[in-house]
Amino acid sequence: MITGTARIAELQARRPKLAGFDAPAALLPRAEIMQALFEMPGSAREAIVPPGLHPTNPAALVLQAWRCPESPWGAFSLVQARAQTRSGVRPRGFVLGAACDNAAAAEALAAGFGFPAATAEVRWQRAYDTVRVDVFRGGEAILALEGADPEPLAAGDVQFSGTLNLADTPRGWRLVQLDPEIRATRSERLRPKLAAFSAAAWGDSRLDPYWPVSASITLADIELPQIRFVCRPEELAFTGTEKV
Amino acid sequence: MKFGIFFELSVPRPFSTAIERQVYENALEQARLADALGFDWVWAVEHHFLEEYSHCSAPELVLTAVAMQTQRIRVGHGAVVCVPEMNHPIRVAERAATLDLLSGGRLELGTARSSTWTELGGFQVNPDETKKTWDEFVRALPVLWRREPVRWNGRCFSMPERSILPKPVQDPHPPLWVTVTSPGTELDAAERGIGCLGVSAASYREQERRTREYHRRIQSCNPVSSVVNDQVATLNFLYCHEDRKRAAELGMRFMGAFSVANSHLLWTREAFPTRAYQSLANLAPSASGSGATNPADGVALPEGLCIGDPKHCIEAIKRWESIGVNGVNFLLNGMEAVPQAAVLDSLRLFAREVMPQFEKERPPAAARPAAGAAQ
Repeated sequence: MITGTARIAELQARRPKLAGFDAPAALLPRAEIMQALFEMPGSAREAIVPPGLHPTNPAALVLQAWRCPESPWGAFSLVQARAQTRSGVRPRGFVLGAACDNAAAAEALAAGFGFPAATAEVRWQRAYDTVRVDVFRGGEAILALEGADPEPLAAGDVQFSGTLNLADTPRGWRLVQLDPEIRATRSERLRPKLAAFSAAAWGDSRLDPYWPVSASITLADIELPQIRFVCRPEELAFTGTEKV
Repeated sequence: MKFGIFFELSVPRPFSTAIERQVYENALEQARLADALGFDWVWAVEHHFLEEYSHCSAPELVLTAVAMQTQRIRVGHGAVVCVPEMNHPIRVAERAATLDLLSGGRLELGTARSSTWTELGGFQVNPDETKKTWDEFVRALPVLWRREPVRWNGRCFSMPERSILPKPVQDPHPPLWVTVTSPGTELDAAERGIGCLGVSAASYREQERRTREYHRRIQSCNPVSSVVNDQVATLNFLYCHEDRKRAAELGMRFMGAFSVANSHLLWTREAFPTRAYQSLANLAPSASGSGATNPADGVALPEGLCIGDPKHCIEAIKRWESIGVNGVNFLLNGMEAVPQAAVLDSLRLFAREVMPQFEKERPPAAARPAAGAAQ
């Protein structure tokens, strides 16, 4: 069984503190979601995730960008870098780093749901046959993700895994499970290209998304539900899961 | 009712030549015993790159070794991956005919298209194409085996006139099957007149629905060959012990280890959005879910498992039989969680107490001619 080997202390930098587990559900209507998956070398696959999780074979990095025109905190974009993992036997994205262009939304997503969301500038560009997301922090381009040549899919053909955020909670350090409900109305597949990626800015300098696999753009209503489960990060989910 | 054993050849960490060799040696010993005990089939999967879950990347060699060490049991590919980046159809035809020859006409040929990105990505296969290439393979193989000389102009491969040699022993050729993971593949099998080789856990109700629809559709099939294979086999886990508690303890241990390893694979639909793969495969739970999904929950236990005492196994198989299943194939171990001696004892007990409760069926369905079939 492949399991993570990261020391929790090494993962704690820039992680948020949750005051409680009672953040209200939030609706993000008419959001655009750009998602891209890249394979990573196996050399660091265990080292970047906590012992409570299993990396996939092969190791995969998922970049997921949301552009939300409407939310309780106003319009915002959120970009996540996620290691594709299993919690128990279930697919989950372990969020390694996140960037958000709206300070109020970043604070709410961090304090309410555990996203390690630091503020950054996020730019979206949609041309006839390309979609591009650029993220800048301190004037540096930390991400330039492009998807080209859209091909229509059925709305539900794109899979979105649930989310696990490591956070300092009232129960101690926990993996906070968030299963956004994504009601897609349109999806297209894209050919992915990563023009810029600063691994350290996304949580771990060992991240190496060297092999592009797929990208997609989806129009959807996203509902962030209330938190129901957390997991002890150093224990497998079969025994380390707690209901809140 | 027929009974088979099914090899994934899962290997526990830490990997070493010694443990891989042991897994292979154990499998061969299980095959020899199954042959002696009267089992009908031994199947071997084809998987690539699937650490722990399956180290069975060259099943034609495994099955050849089995054939050389047994006298009666039929040897089955469960299944050959029918995409040209992994297996050229001419080579599939040649290898299968050779194995049929060496085994004295004991080959069954399952076909598949792979369900993990781990495998498809490793061979740079476009997932949009695999159903199409599989379809061409199953139509081409009977022609490549029977026609002499043969030419082919197709979508995924073409060839000028050549003799493909040797030819299979079985007349007209080894029975064809397709592995069924996704709902709907049973209809693909029925429409082509080939057997339905279940390789994922299905509930009684789901299997009954699939089997009923398969048998209905195959009555009006457009077969890919001059014969129809109308058998339905399902996959199960076997650990049979007089003490039901002991059976559950050991059986669930290997089933759990196997299921966890299965869940760690990167599924095609998860990695590459496509209409061609509508479900995550095998034992995997859904990729996305509501807040109700508790990560502490394992894979839901399939119904009708043969993990228990002989009475329990008989009851489970009677139920499978009642819904039209012709054969049950068993995984015997996973990650070597069950000691080899216990696996062999389980096989012996099953053969002694359970198998006599079920009648043998007619000879392989390859003998059933298809009306108006392709040659």
